[in-house]
Amino acid sequence: MKYYSPRLALAVIFLFPLIWSGWASVRGPEGFTLANYRSITGYGEGLATYVGNSLMLSGMTVVGTLVVATLGGYAFARFHFPGKNLLFLAALAILMVPYATILIPLYVLLDHVGLQNSLLGLSLVFVMFQLPFALYMMRNSFEAIPREIEESALVDGAGSVKVLLSVLLPAVRPGLVTVGLFAFLASWNDFFAPLILLSDGASFPLPVAVVSMTQRTFGAIDYGVLQAGVMVMAVPCLVLFLVLQRYYVRGFMSGALRG
Amino acid sequence: MLRRLPALAAAALLATSMAACGSAAPEESAPGGTAAAGPTTITMWTRAATQAQSERLVEAYNKSHTNQVKLTVIPTDNYQPRIAAAAGAKQLPDVFAADVIFVPNYTSQGLFADISDRVAALPFKDSLAPSHMRLGTYEGRQYTLPHTLDLSVWFWNKDLYEKAGLDPEKGPATLKEFAEQATTVQEKLGADGKVHGTFFGGNCGGCYVFTFWPSVWAAGGTVMNAEGTESTVASSPMTDVFSIYRSLYDNGVTGPTTKEEQGPTWTGFFPKGEIGVMPMPSTTLGSMPADMKIGVAPIAGPDGGESTFVGGDSVGISATSQNVDAAWEFLAWTVSDEAQVEIMAKNKDVVARTDLADNKYSAEDPRVVLINSLVGKGQTPYALKFGETYNDPQGPWLRFAREALFGDVAKLPELNETLNQSLTQ
Amino acid sequence: MTSPLSTAPRLRRRRALAGWAYAAPTAVIVAVLFIAPLVLVVIMSLHKWPLLGQARPNFPANYTKIPDDPLFLDSVLFTLKYTVIVTILLSAVALGLALLVQDRRPGVGFFRTAFFLPGAVGFAAAALLFYGLLNNDFGPFGFLGVNWIGSPNMALTSTILLVLWRFAGFNMLILLTGLQAIPVEVYEAARADGANRWQIFTRITLPLLRPTLALMLILSITGSLLAFDQFFIFTNGGPDNSTVSMVMVVYRNAFFRFDLGGAAALSVVLLVVLVALNAVQMRILRGATTK
Repeated sequence: MKYYSPRLALAVIFLFPLIWSGWASVRGPEGFTLANYRSITGYGEGLATYVGNSLMLSGMTVVGTLVVATLGGYAFARFHFPGKNLLFLAALAILMVPYATILIPLYVLLDHVGLQNSLLGLSLVFVMFQLPFALYMMRNSFEAIPREIEESALVDGAGSVKVLLSVLLPAVRPGLVTVGLFAFLASWNDFFAPLILLSDGASFPLPVAVVSMTQRTFGAIDYGVLQAGVMVMAVPCLVLFLVLQRYYVRGFMSGALRG
Repeated sequence: MLRRLPALAAAALLATSMAACGSAAPEESAPGGTAAAGPTTITMWTRAATQAQSERLVEAYNKSHTNQVKLTVIPTDNYQPRIAAAAGAKQLPDVFAADVIFVPNYTSQGLFADISDRVAALPFKDSLAPSHMRLGTYEGRQYTLPHTLDLSVWFWNKDLYEKAGLDPEKGPATLKEFAEQATTVQEKLGADGKVHGTFFGGNCGGCYVFTFWPSVWAAGGTVMNAEGTESTVASSPMTDVFSIYRSLYDNGVTGPTTKEEQGPTWTGFFPKGEIGVMPMPSTTLGSMPADMKIGVAPIAGPDGGESTFVGGDSVGISATSQNVDAAWEFLAWTVSDEAQVEIMAKNKDVVARTDLADNKYSAEDPRVVLINSLVGKGQTPYALKFGETYNDPQGPWLRFAREALFGDVAKLPELNETLNQSLTQ
Repeated sequence: MTSPLSTAPRLRRRRALAGWAYAAPTAVIVAVLFIAPLVLVVIMSLHKWPLLGQARPNFPANYTKIPDDPLFLDSVLFTLKYTVIVTILLSAVALGLALLVQDRRPGVGFFRTAFFLPGAVGFAAAALLFYGLLNNDFGPFGFLGVNWIGSPNMALTSTILLVLWRFAGFNMLILLTGLQAIPVEVYEAARADGANRWQIFTRITLPLLRPTLALMLILSITGSLLAFDQFFIFTNGGPDNSTVSMVMVVYRNAFFRFDLGGAAALSVVLLVVLVALNAVQMRILRGATTK
């Protein structure tokens, strides 16, 4: 009891806001109601469009982040090449830039490569913002694999691509899941970048749509709808989080975040 | 070779992006006509706050015209950043609406295309909402048309008035009567903490402007000079208006969250039947609960008079639009008799033309006639730096107003200087 | 020990080329989407940069006017204060949670999940959630009569509660990896020498946890100095400008005052300070890792 009671109390404190939000989203003047969810479903282009946009956006971001960070992490963990440290530090420096200011130049830039107002262009921006965490994580995941495994495969005549795909990838799976999960969370939830970089209401992802729909009438926030929106955004993340828990806990534990 | 690639790519990209940024807009904005024949689809942006009106207009237009309008609604609080980013990248839509108060700043930044000649050709040009038209004029040229009108008026709850022993058919005619009636409601019905005499957005610069300033104008006073470069709020009658509201707050007549209200919910208490009398936006009249009996009165000064803040949105063609003719066709239609009467007036919205103030729909509701009649009497202050001075929560006005209501009145002359600085920088 | 990876020089050159090939996607993304916009920010900071139309060079005006902005100076002090408080509290709470759930016991997985779960909610969504939660008319705490964002101190306190709720679990997980890496034998040896729990914590756990703690500190300090969402959505800088962070001033200058050049100059200054700060921290971190 002495072990469990303080932990249980803390768990309740941490879970309470989520539970309250779920409850508030179905609370009406006369008890239980789905009115808030109904009003979300019918908004603008329809909820399905926004969920679809968010899924596309997050899907591309996850795939892009995984590809770039796996290749990059492998390069930084196992190869020596000129400019290696500089590139790594430059990637880490992404963490240090105020998000709000780099958006206008990014807008200009995406325009010039023909990716303005597109989910693809936006997902590339998310991949960039994910790089510091993803590269760091993948580099350390690769470094944690004993070199002998790789070397014996190389001696057997396999090329580095084959070694990466068949030997190393399975070994860094927890790291991959962790990186993918965080890329998903970031791109699924981000509000500001899509708001600035997308100009077509039909391609808005969920967070922009939710904030728009809660500001429907002049200067009045509809709190019930707001909490329903929070739930629609949060539930997929919570589910993924729970399903993938086994992996990302191991991803962190496998030394991926050390040093 | 491989090593140089990223550097080269970056250099090339930069070169193109800088070339584009350095070049001025003229060659892009010059073509006035629609190049392609056949139906054109133009893009339009509006803010969520006036979404309903824009959507109704666009829907009706698309049904009856070959040209089509594609409307994008953007969250109100983020509308200005969105416009700024799009303008910075020269990606503005063909048509965009904007809070009328920001229009002088936008036109001075060159965001709208000059439509003076097209406006001059409209047969009803002299009856377009005068304050919206004045704010859309920059250096003698016309850039915008009125899109939606949102006026501040006093709403009173007739049921609460009756319960409090007041005459439910007689609203306040002066700010002093307003305060007396609010106090009566508070004293008679406020015991359970649910009902309050009045309410205002105490931490919301735009709310103060919208709800307090008409009392100043009604008393014959000013809040700034005509050029919008000098603030006059540290003197009477503004100070008198502040002190009446201040005593309402001090006496507990205002709702409990008055001081903290940042704006998101300031209109939310009245429809719940919790407020006796308060200034409200006229656009909310159509969305009030059907069974609620609401009286509407013009905002008055301490001893009488009447005025209003003529807010709402103006709409213009962006300086970078390639579809100016198609865009104008839509804009001109939105202020036509058909659109104004059958769409705006039918939904109890204020019409954008003074010559249509009395129409077949407004006749059904005398409150709408009253609101329409105020369009010509009200004001919309003109200042290039309006937004950052008065609306921005980090601007100097909010600090000033909060000091006047909750703080030290002796600081006001000094704070008025910060207003002047912000207006002229 | 000779490794087949580093013998022949020809092979080494081939390895270097392969390394570059693998790093190429990273390099392209960093160059195109980060370095290039950054260079544009620097160029903007040297100009009076209007929304539409011709930019005019005005160096160093955008930089020299920075000290004239009282809002920015206040925001520097506020952001520093916020960073110190959040970093201390976040480290303490995260370390406490990590210590609570470090042992393998039945149910420990549930506790870890519970503490970590708020991290799955987007920060914007979390801020909106708290906006409702701490609203006395709508939220569950109205009966307390506490005015959550009414005074400067309460607004800061509420924001810190939000940040702790959202990020404590993530930082707990980072620290947990460090805790798990400490060999059990070290603890056993200490216990055999008669050390009590406090001595074990201060003389073994803390020193061996230093690299992990340092990493957490870097993330927390950098994140706090760039704080934006929490204040923008939750307190809106209020009341009375008491919670305006540095990035909010940058945002205001760029998007509300349309002073793109001035905002760019502020960003450049911020970036330089952060890079310098992190270089120092990195050095300390590296010093801590090499035993």
